[in-house]
Amino acid sequence: MAILSIQNLSFTYNGANRKALSGVNLEVEKGQFVVVCGESGCGKSTLLRLVKKQLAPKGKREGSILYNAQLEGAGNREQGTGIGCHSEQSEEGPSFHCALTDVEDMDERVAVTDIGFVMQNPDNQIVTDKVWHELAFGLEALGEKPDVIRKRIAEICGFFGITDWYHKNTSELSGGQKQLLNLAAVMLMQPNILILDEPSGQLDPVAATEFIATLLKINRELGLTILLVEHRLEDVFPLADKVVLMNKAEILLCGSPREVGLKLKETDPQHKMRLGLPAAVRLFNLLGAAGECPLTVKEGRDFLERTYMPEHTEISEERPDGKNRAAALEIQDGFFRYARNAPDILKGLSLKVYENETLCVLGGNGAGKTTMLKILSGVKRVHQGAVRVWGKKIKDYTGGSLYRENVALLPQNPQSVFVKDKLIDDLREATALMSLKREAGDAEIRALCDGLGIGSLLESHPYDLSGGEQQKAALVKMLLLRPRILLLDEPTKGIDAYSKTVLSDILKRLKAEGKTIVIVTHDVEFAAQNADRCAMFFDGRIVSEDAPAAFFAGNTFYTTAAYRISRGFYKNAVTVEAVAELCGRNPKKL
Amino acid sequence: MKSVRAFETYHPLTLFAFFACALVICMFTLHPVLLAVCYLSGVGFYGMLAGRRKLAASLARSIPLTVLIAAVNPLFVHRGETPLFFLNDNAVTLEAILYGAAAAVMLMSVFYWFKCYNEVMTSDKFIYLFGRVLPKLSLILSMALRFVSRFKRQYREIDDAQRAMGMYASKSLTDRLRSAFRVFSALITWSLENSIETADSMRARGYGLRGRTSYNNFFWRRRDGFMLAFIVLTAGAVIALLSAGRAGFGYYPTVTPIGFSVYDLLCYGALTVLLFMTVLLEMKEAVRWRYSLSKI
Amino acid sequence: MDKALLKKTIAFIVILALIPAVIALGVVLFRDRRFNIISIAVALLACVPFFLFFEKKQTKARELVVIAVMVALSAVGRLIFIGIPGFKPLAAIVIITGLAFGAEAGFLTGSLSAVLSNIFFGQGPWTPFQMFVWGILGFAAGLFYRRQAAKTWPALIVWGIASGAAFSLLMDIWTVFSLDGGWNWARYWTALIAGLPYTAIYMGSNVLFLLLLFKPISKKLERVKVKYMLFDYGETRGKE
Repeated sequence: MAILSIQNLSFTYNGANRKALSGVNLEVEKGQFVVVCGESGCGKSTLLRLVKKQLAPKGKREGSILYNAQLEGAGNREQGTGIGCHSEQSEEGPSFHCALTDVEDMDERVAVTDIGFVMQNPDNQIVTDKVWHELAFGLEALGEKPDVIRKRIAEICGFFGITDWYHKNTSELSGGQKQLLNLAAVMLMQPNILILDEPSGQLDPVAATEFIATLLKINRELGLTILLVEHRLEDVFPLADKVVLMNKAEILLCGSPREVGLKLKETDPQHKMRLGLPAAVRLFNLLGAAGECPLTVKEGRDFLERTYMPEHTEISEERPDGKNRAAALEIQDGFFRYARNAPDILKGLSLKVYENETLCVLGGNGAGKTTMLKILSGVKRVHQGAVRVWGKKIKDYTGGSLYRENVALLPQNPQSVFVKDKLIDDLREATALMSLKREAGDAEIRALCDGLGIGSLLESHPYDLSGGEQQKAALVKMLLLRPRILLLDEPTKGIDAYSKTVLSDILKRLKAEGKTIVIVTHDVEFAAQNADRCAMFFDGRIVSEDAPAAFFAGNTFYTTAAYRISRGFYKNAVTVEAVAELCGRNPKKL
Repeated sequence: MKSVRAFETYHPLTLFAFFACALVICMFTLHPVLLAVCYLSGVGFYGMLAGRRKLAASLARSIPLTVLIAAVNPLFVHRGETPLFFLNDNAVTLEAILYGAAAAVMLMSVFYWFKCYNEVMTSDKFIYLFGRVLPKLSLILSMALRFVSRFKRQYREIDDAQRAMGMYASKSLTDRLRSAFRVFSALITWSLENSIETADSMRARGYGLRGRTSYNNFFWRRRDGFMLAFIVLTAGAVIALLSAGRAGFGYYPTVTPIGFSVYDLLCYGALTVLLFMTVLLEMKEAVRWRYSLSKI
Repeated sequence: MDKALLKKTIAFIVILALIPAVIALGVVLFRDRRFNIISIAVALLACVPFFLFFEKKQTKARELVVIAVMVALSAVGRLIFIGIPGFKPLAAIVIITGLAFGAEAGFLTGSLSAVLSNIFFGQGPWTPFQMFVWGILGFAAGLFYRRQAAKTWPALIVWGIASGAAFSLLMDIWTVFSLDGGWNWARYWTALIAGLPYTAIYMGSNVLFLLLLFKPISKKLERVKVKYMLFDYGETRGKE
């Protein structure tokens, strides 16, 4: 019997004229790991929030979301759910008086404890300044005695392995640790259903993988029901008991990962959702193969070995070598530290960026990649070494000449770009900086915004835009300065697969216009698709650089899923498309 | 290296009781002996907590100020029977100078004891105590403390982002000021907009339910009981004796002699024991660790 | 609205009744008439009724968070402009909060800002006075939160000057009490005059901050107020 049963649910936000959800039906069994995916704005967050009474958005709701508390031995809870009823009764209708309750009618206290909710931004969710206080927060609200709280915290710290942090300030934790803390703080309340809304969106890949592993542990070891919205499906997809694919306020597909992988073929081949799926599934789909859909890298390898003869193993890569072009940016033996007695962040960094190339700089967290961008954009100065822009020392650019028609930096968090209450005003700031007349400036703004598909948002408050839109708007502000060199810091953080391809198209266009682009990223797939050259950053310097195919084919761990699937069979296929192309050239095994 | 500290390991309630008593007594009396005890113990304890260098630096600033206050006092007060000389037809009296010195030393001992308080009563102790009486306000403070570190970081981020666009990039004072205003204003938007999710997270975890309890990490130990009893006893004795007019002292019209009756001595003794206890505790701890380190 | 007003009235009565009681007790208990101790106690006591009322009633999480944000911003603002002595946006933020969200939010923001900012800059005998002065400033501003006249630029200048003066006026009372044990006008004037340059910068910075920040901050506060239905004292007040 389902622990959560969503029946014919529709929802319209106050003041909106379009349904955010329409006719959604979903059954979640006890102990299931359910992954909900879909493009941003498809209604998945709305769906999740409606399940949590305290977070339910305001608007018109039809249909029902029934929660079955009885399944968790609710006898000892002091709630008014009455006597348990049998599963036969859960057929239809609003006439339940027993264990099944609509979440809207749930007792406030039960709704707090039974349904746990973790949100995307690790920072915004943390309330207090100390880890221990954050952990205790929920139990304090429930009125538990300090002794009970202490015991439960001890337990949870053991389970999550976070005992060392107990006395720390929450601000000292890394992003991954913060999200783990949020998870632990929710788990302390012993929920029956755990809901997570893109919990790894703001994390780097290593932290994200760790977080997902913890979720899996919770699901497998405690049998907890989990409802997860995710963009990064590579890790999660194969683990799910059920995958729900949403599209435009409706559920498009629902079933086991393999079913969904298979059924997806029957839907629109251009469907945006395909982009976010694991490499093995995408490969399977691209090839139009039959049989069981592979989900993981391992299964993908088996599938390749089983199906194709290894005759053609190499794909020719035609990316122009930019090394004979002029150097747009250059750092020579750069050293940098944030404070006099702090350790060096950059330790003899040397890097050359050639005109009109796209360079991706990859590397672990906290390695100093963002710092490097700050150096390149002139925000910070090296204390040793030389930095040149177009062959001229960066110090010699005075009075903003470094920024007008020259270098622009898109920061990791696009929100830090906006200072006005209306997007258009923010953008006008940039045109004013370029000493454009109002009309000329507005025309340019309009042209750029329409080009990026945000032309209708000019009158909005920048903070009312979605994450992807904010990023585009921030990019427009950069482009208004007509930069020749564009520096991007983690541009794919927190945006979905479709937005990534849009971004990728934008970057290609900018490159065609002659711009030089430097991208700092964790996203190996994105780098493989977009870079002319990739560089590996480690311990304050660049340790290796090469064209993407050679770069990723030279790596064993830090490489794309497509390459991990094809390694040993093909020499340098690092994107799913390349693998599919090679497969297509090879004869099939019988 | 941070030195090992003994006194701060007591329960916040004990610590607070101590500082409340110490500060009230400091502000209470102008008796030279008691003043000397207050001042020397305050300076001594601060030295134990902050180290010699910080103490020297702060003394270098506070001593001239003390002297100045004392010297200036006769300009305001013309009482006293021992004129030293005349200034603009007003007598500058010995009593007024002595009184000024006493008042200045009193002010300084209050400042030093507050400095000690700031070293010992860290924010979590303060929030705990505050929360025992005013839980909701202490929650706001705890949230605000978290916000401060976030906002500082975000301020730098916005500032960097703006400078990387060439906004107000010059180093002139007006540009710097305007840029600071702009970034601060952007920070306000950012903080207000992002805080709503914090509120959601609070509600999702049950904020607003009836019967909130409060959890803490401080344990009341037996030694806290002893310490509190000691504080109540000694401070109570001092305050009682002072209220009863013992250890009284007057500066005008003439400086009265320092009393040495049993009660007076009791008062001096009690205060000395109370305030210097902290210094002794720290010394003992320092010696203990040095000894145990040398054994290792 | 009536109920809120009643509460405020009670608050004032309590203050008025308690303060003389403390002074009387002080005089009886401390023969020396240590007004410096008494004045600190009075400043602290004056905050108590506001705090207690706030503790008793239900507050939405969002309102709590917004107050915490304003409190934190006032401390961060002080850190941002730390290069220029006497230049801090604290009083301006408190007044703006009061004008935007009402008396209670104003008082809490003011007094808690004092506490928080002193956690970073050091608590001292000034803490209770700052708690009281900034609290009352926020409270007073809050009394005018429906009056447009209190939000024009001449009014803002008055707010700025008043807030700059208030703290010095009160703090120097303590200085006089500490140095003289009783009242001494000459000392008081001298202290005020000696502190004048600082007070003047402070007043100027308050006026400047108020003029510059009032509009943007009010707009931002108004936006969250509407967007998230905060501090809604109308008839719709009820469960969130």
